[in-house]
Amino acid sequence: MNSLTVYLFVALLLFCIGMFGLLQRRSLIGMIISIELMLNAAGINFMAFNRFLGPDPAVGQIMVLFIMGIAAAEAAIALSLTLALFRKLRSINIEHARDLRG
Amino acid sequence: MAAKLYMFLPETAYLLMGLVLFLLSLPKEQPGGRVYVWALCLSLLGVAAAVAGLPQKGLIFFQAYRVDLYSQLFKLILSVAMFLVVSICWPLTGVERRYKPEFFLFLTTCTLGMMLMVSAVELMTLYLALELSSFSLYILVPLRSGDNIDIEAGVKYLFIGITASCVMLFGISYLYGAAHSTYLADILEKLPLWIHQPAAAIGLLLTLSGFFFKLAVFPFHFWAPDVYQGAANQVTTYIATVSKAAAVALLVRLTSLTGGTSLYLSYILIVLCVVSMGLGNLVAIVQKDLKRMLAYSTIAHAGYILMGILTMNELGYSAAVFYTVAYMIMNFAAFMVVVKLASQGQDLKISDLAGLHRRSPLLALTLMMALFSLAGIPPTVGFTGKFLVFAAAMQQGHFWLVLVGMINATISLYYYLMVIKAAYLAEPETEAPPLVIGMPTRLLNYLLIVVMAYLGIFPQQVMTLAENAVKQLIWGS
Repeated sequence: MNSLTVYLFVALLLFCIGMFGLLQRRSLIGMIISIELMLNAAGINFMAFNRFLGPDPAVGQIMVLFIMGIAAAEAAIALSLTLALFRKLRSINIEHARDLRG
Repeated sequence: MAAKLYMFLPETAYLLMGLVLFLLSLPKEQPGGRVYVWALCLSLLGVAAAVAGLPQKGLIFFQAYRVDLYSQLFKLILSVAMFLVVSICWPLTGVERRYKPEFFLFLTTCTLGMMLMVSAVELMTLYLALELSSFSLYILVPLRSGDNIDIEAGVKYLFIGITASCVMLFGISYLYGAAHSTYLADILEKLPLWIHQPAAAIGLLLTLSGFFFKLAVFPFHFWAPDVYQGAANQVTTYIATVSKAAAVALLVRLTSLTGGTSLYLSYILIVLCVVSMGLGNLVAIVQKDLKRMLAYSTIAHAGYILMGILTMNELGYSAAVFYTVAYMIMNFAAFMVVVKLASQGQDLKISDLAGLHRRSPLLALTLMMALFSLAGIPPTVGFTGKFLVFAAAMQQGHFWLVLVGMINATISLYYYLMVIKAAYLAEPETEAPPLVIGMPTRLLNYLLIVVMAYLGIFPQQVMTLAENAVKQLIWGS
């Protein structure tokens, strides 16, 4: 097993953990943390491909920087919505928000 | 330099529009109608800029941004749809008064994101543009005034959207690994050699999932009914029309990267297409809420559009583009009736339509035309769109798929006719007063009815335009 495969395997594992957490967790904060895991899994992939295969060493690093920026923006919107939900329901458990059915 | 700036004209117009709306949102005392007039005039300017940009051609921003007939046609579609949506946003009853300027601001940034998206030919540019449009929509959905359902819809939309975008980013990383480059031109050279291996096909499929989410294709369709019901009627109109165009544009562009030969991808797309059509049509039958029913019909229509895309040839792509234009027109007509009927910005039950033909014969006629078109009854534009898509799939030998599509179209006829029955035959329990609609709305109604009939009978011009645009998709580096 060469080193690229190890990195890709770790990234895939991280992605699956994030996906599992997203489906399993009922608290919005837990779901936001799971999403960060999935984004960082993609970041590891970019860095690994960049280090072992990429012709231009800068591309993967720039990608990862952008991913970090996007993750921050996503967390900001997600947290503000979590706060808005908490103000109305006094809870951040997604199970308690079930008015929309049909 | 000046010529290159001219290529960026439609986007510049929308940037300026966003800036003006941002400045208008700053004062504490919110002026009521002034923001609407500004938004309407500026979006009309945006349409003019998109028309002026139509013949432009070239590559800008370090080859990351491609301006050609394909992207410019979609920018024109986006800007016209944006103008139409803004035009029915007064009186804006569904949105809290102090958020009205922000409402128009985020509509503008969302449209800007989609315009950047249809021109982007570099994966990071593409992803950033997609996120710009998605983030604006995440904020637009919970802006509704009144009860809690808007926040709940917003949370569901946000989390399903972010999940789809994470999956897409993971797919992009595999595409980067396979092609060693983020430029679509490089990927276009290398991918047809790689695509027969599952890894590259999975990378491309994961990348497509970000757009499956926007189009509400199974398995990223869960948000559609809740968001359609929970968001303000005008926002739902926007999501149901404008955001579909950009998603189809990118699905076609990314699928064309395979060079037309990928068995793995086409099998998976067939499964998604069949499940979307079946699920959307069957669940739509039992819905009581009009917007919720239209949401399930959206899922079904996403399946029809996928049928054109999965043929992976120029005929299928141009049929999918035509179907998208048709779908936007008929869906806009249906939602315009919803917006005009729900004068307090409330949700409409299908039973609320009772007696509509007496209250407003024109709105009832538009609704009937739109629903006949969605069901695919000739001579409407919906029939022609379905015919073109089915013909393209048939030509590629997907007989069973076309058969399933036909059966689904028949099922969908049932629930569309139930709505028309409610509007024309059902008697209301208490007689509601006649609806007064102004002259601009009347003109818009006549225009939509004429366009739906005209494009149904004479689709050649739009189809030729779509074919010419799709020819621009394959290019060398």
